[in-house]
Amino acid sequence: MKEMKLFLGPQHPGMHGNASVHLFVDGDIIKRSYLLPGMLHRGFEKQMERKLWVNNIALIPRVCVPEPDINEMAFALATEKLLKLDVPERAHWIRMIMLEFARISAHLMAYGGLGGPTGNYTLMYHAHIDRNLILDIFEKISGARIYHQYIVIGGVRKDLPEGIDEEINAYLNDLESRLNEYRDLGIDNPSVVKRIKDTIMLPEAVVWELGVTGIGMRSATNKPYDIRKVMPYARYNQVEFEVPISDYSDARSRLDIKIKEVQQSINIIRQCLDKMPEGEVRVKPSRGQSMRWTVPKGYVYAPVESSRGEFGYYMVSNGGTTPWRVGVRGASYPQGLLGIEKYLPGTRIDDAALWVDTMGICSPEIDR
Amino acid sequence: MNSISNLEAVDNIINSTGKVIKKEPISDFQVAYEVNKSDVHQILTSLKLEGWKQLSYLSAVDWPEENKFELVYILLNWDKPVYIQIRAKIDRENPSMNSIIPIFPGAKYYEREAHEFFGIAFPGNPDYKKQLIMEQWDDIPPLRKDFDPRAYSDRKYPSREYPDNFSKKDKENESLEKQAKRRKRARKLRTGGEE
Repeated sequence: MKEMKLFLGPQHPGMHGNASVHLFVDGDIIKRSYLLPGMLHRGFEKQMERKLWVNNIALIPRVCVPEPDINEMAFALATEKLLKLDVPERAHWIRMIMLEFARISAHLMAYGGLGGPTGNYTLMYHAHIDRNLILDIFEKISGARIYHQYIVIGGVRKDLPEGIDEEINAYLNDLESRLNEYRDLGIDNPSVVKRIKDTIMLPEAVVWELGVTGIGMRSATNKPYDIRKVMPYARYNQVEFEVPISDYSDARSRLDIKIKEVQQSINIIRQCLDKMPEGEVRVKPSRGQSMRWTVPKGYVYAPVESSRGEFGYYMVSNGGTTPWRVGVRGASYPQGLLGIEKYLPGTRIDDAALWVDTMGICSPEIDR
Repeated sequence: MNSISNLEAVDNIINSTGKVIKKEPISDFQVAYEVNKSDVHQILTSLKLEGWKQLSYLSAVDWPEENKFELVYILLNWDKPVYIQIRAKIDRENPSMNSIIPIFPGAKYYEREAHEFFGIAFPGNPDYKKQLIMEQWDDIPPLRKDFDPRAYSDRKYPSREYPDNFSKKDKENESLEKQAKRRKRARKLRTGGEE
């Protein structure tokens, strides 16, 4: 049969974000494939070099749309390291609450995304309802639903509002009670299991070859390789949580880890609410100018654990009022570009969308 | 194992394989080394054999005053948690650096991106000349410091010329009476009905 070219995305129920996978197929087997980014390129790295350090806070959440808070955190961590600035104790705990909610919402979105390629849309609707309730909490805390600009250099923008504790606890209890429902709808649903069990494998050798991190890495290597554990930032060394792992990485085990991580994030948020001290939430990075302050010379790489893996900012300052260079290490870079080129061929067309979904690929952070 | 002894282990590996121009400790979990361009492959190979198996990031920084590009390779060992930045300066005229694909296959697309944004050639990378993100780019690589996005945009997209009758501005709206009326209405909306 003659080789034929197909496009998966940018508009496709199984494709998240504005990137396109070009597939060259023979029958229904993929022979060659590559990702075509560039439809979402906004030139952030160049723009950041032209804006003040403070102004960049408005820009960075746009780097990854489904999970914007990790950008704010990585940017704030890097800048604080260059400034040698200590953040107030309470701010660390508030940051952790935000980051864990962001992780839950990104996991719910990715898990609900399973509904697209498998035709199980009920799952997607349920996941989006629960994610929407998280956005309500975000709105109450920061005033915005998606791009919060809440984690800033020197702490967080403002303190938590009155009475948010009860609301968070009520939400967490509600979500926790329904995690089993999510399992039944998704990874334990017989019609879905046939599609995801023992397919879309990610062997350990491939993990090391590509540099895949996050759930892909933990599911293949059976080791708790999580930056929150290995190199704790904020106050992750003071909360108790487990890193779910597995020694067999098919699509189902990766999704299973996602659900387990949601449970762990719930536990972390509860501990944060318990252990959080009172006090200041923000320090000013400079004593003089309110915006046009400078940052000492230096190079720093600040990683955080996103829902897809290691996400980091590489920042260079030459002592000026704007960053000299900001490089974004998107967590989905290795599997999204090289992974699709090398390891998607050999699978079937209908598995391509599942492959992209379960590997954790966020196209805005590939493009930037 | 604690992080201090990890940092010492890194020191030993790098000092035994290449010449260090400058060492820069950044935190308990991060250290930077500036090395010669010719030593980079040797150092990356020996670090990979010692467990720094993950290439986290590869990119470049432009230093036009020194007339140099600085390449940066960030490696991570998950078992001995230390990030290592290996930095090497290369000439800004006809910049070129041998590809590290034989050591870290995952570098392929990082190098393509660095070529696209800085114009650095990576001999050994089969696809580095192909365009990746910016379709039909027709200027100098955009992350170089001498690229001015404003000038590019003005040149590429000339400002539109409007005909005289494009916008019919009502002269009456500029009268003081109407301005006062508008302010009054705005105050009313803001305060919720109070005059």
